[in-house]
Amino acid sequence: MKKLSYLCGALLILGSASSLKAQLIDEKDVTVTMDLQPVLQLDMTTPDQIEFVFDEINEYYAGITKYGATVLRVSSTVSWDLYAVGRSTGTNGPEFWDQQIEYGNNNPNAIPDLPLSLLELRQAQPNNGAAAAAGLFADYSQAFSPATAPSAGNSLYVNGGTNTPPTTNDKYIGGHAGTSGVPGQDFLPGGSYLTQTGVTSDYFYVIDYRILPGLPAIFPNAADADGATFEDLITVNGAGAYAEPGVYTMYVQYILLEDQ
Amino acid sequence: MISKATLFSFLFLIASNVIEAQIHCGLVEITPNTSVNALMTFDNFTSYNGGMIINSVAKIRIKVEDQAIPDPLCSWSLIMTIDNNPGGGTPANEWEELNQYGSGLGTNPPIDVLEIKVRNSCTTSPIDGVFQTFNNHGDIIDIIAPMLPITPAGSCGLNVNGPGSFLSNYDEFNFDIDIRVKPNFSYNPGIYQLNIRFHLEENP
Repeated sequence: MKKLSYLCGALLILGSASSLKAQLIDEKDVTVTMDLQPVLQLDMTTPDQIEFVFDEINEYYAGITKYGATVLRVSSTVSWDLYAVGRSTGTNGPEFWDQQIEYGNNNPNAIPDLPLSLLELRQAQPNNGAAAAAGLFADYSQAFSPATAPSAGNSLYVNGGTNTPPTTNDKYIGGHAGTSGVPGQDFLPGGSYLTQTGVTSDYFYVIDYRILPGLPAIFPNAADADGATFEDLITVNGAGAYAEPGVYTMYVQYILLEDQ
Repeated sequence: MISKATLFSFLFLIASNVIEAQIHCGLVEITPNTSVNALMTFDNFTSYNGGMIINSVAKIRIKVEDQAIPDPLCSWSLIMTIDNNPGGGTPANEWEELNQYGSGLGTNPPIDVLEIKVRNSCTTSPIDGVFQTFNNHGDIIDIIAPMLPITPAGSCGLNVNGPGSFLSNYDEFNFDIDIRVKPNFSYNPGIYQLNIRFHLEENP
């Protein structure tokens, strides 16, 4: 009984002591929620239609170049890739220009199926996010080749009439295929042309276009996506082939997407 | 065998140490002490590039009263801490990720993207008017530091920490809180959260 009394006494003392030790406190919370919404913005300055009219022999020989026909300005809050892909409505097939009208007779060697890759692009600013590229050409920054020396370095990327992104062997304008996460390997970091200084920028691309028919008109610089195989009319259709005179149309789609 | 007297002496010794931290003030209160939720939505380049600021996202209004028999030792401190819910797996130096948009190949925003400014008319806090940043979960920034000498209300000076109220001395006992976030283009898009806790406590 005595022991029980001691215990009760001890608990009372400790209990009163613990109640006395509490200091007065009050708190208030401010919760901050941040919603970072991804913004990818491609501003493009270009004519509605770019026309290449070949009505002089020298234009067939030397081709026609449209300098600075398209200007691309990128703003992105995420790491990004930018590429161009050749497309048509598919009248002549998914990888060919649409023939709107034909001139002359239907000579069997006159080929109406002109590959979309005959269009050449040249970007003024090299692709600084393509170290991981594994193909012959990482971008379109090489100079247009002389008319007498066919090159696949500037032929437009085409993939069966779809807008599927190029592979590591194909050409990008900015960034490249892959998700290494290492800057410069396969993407360009978020940013905007608005905050750039200096005369060059990874967020600003001036695009030149060239079509070089040659004589006969076989488009010697047309090549497949990885630039390893030419798609000129003789390689594809055999000796004697040439482009059927007429009006042809196609379009270039520029696609800006998050690095992937 | 321990005698009764020895046992009670021992217990009083322990209790007396604790009793030293007794209450000096009658009331210590933030009014209102309800939570504030602030949403910052970044959906254009202006906000990403220029940042976003919310002035007076919260007002910390303080009321500290003496006991019925005033104790000259009644004083208080006000601190703020940062909480990113590390129990949910958030790294110590990042915002808590609630949802992510896109591929998530970049990095999540660090805590120091959030800037906090405390101000009142009497500039009673040493950090008054200057944006402050936290680096890690649990970091503490003093607004009125603990255990300072008592500066009575009404002096409209630095570190006022005596009894008083925002009702009678608004310029000393009210703190406006501004927050600013400038994310730029470096971080994974998504929804992120942080909690700033303002902690008012009487000095022991």
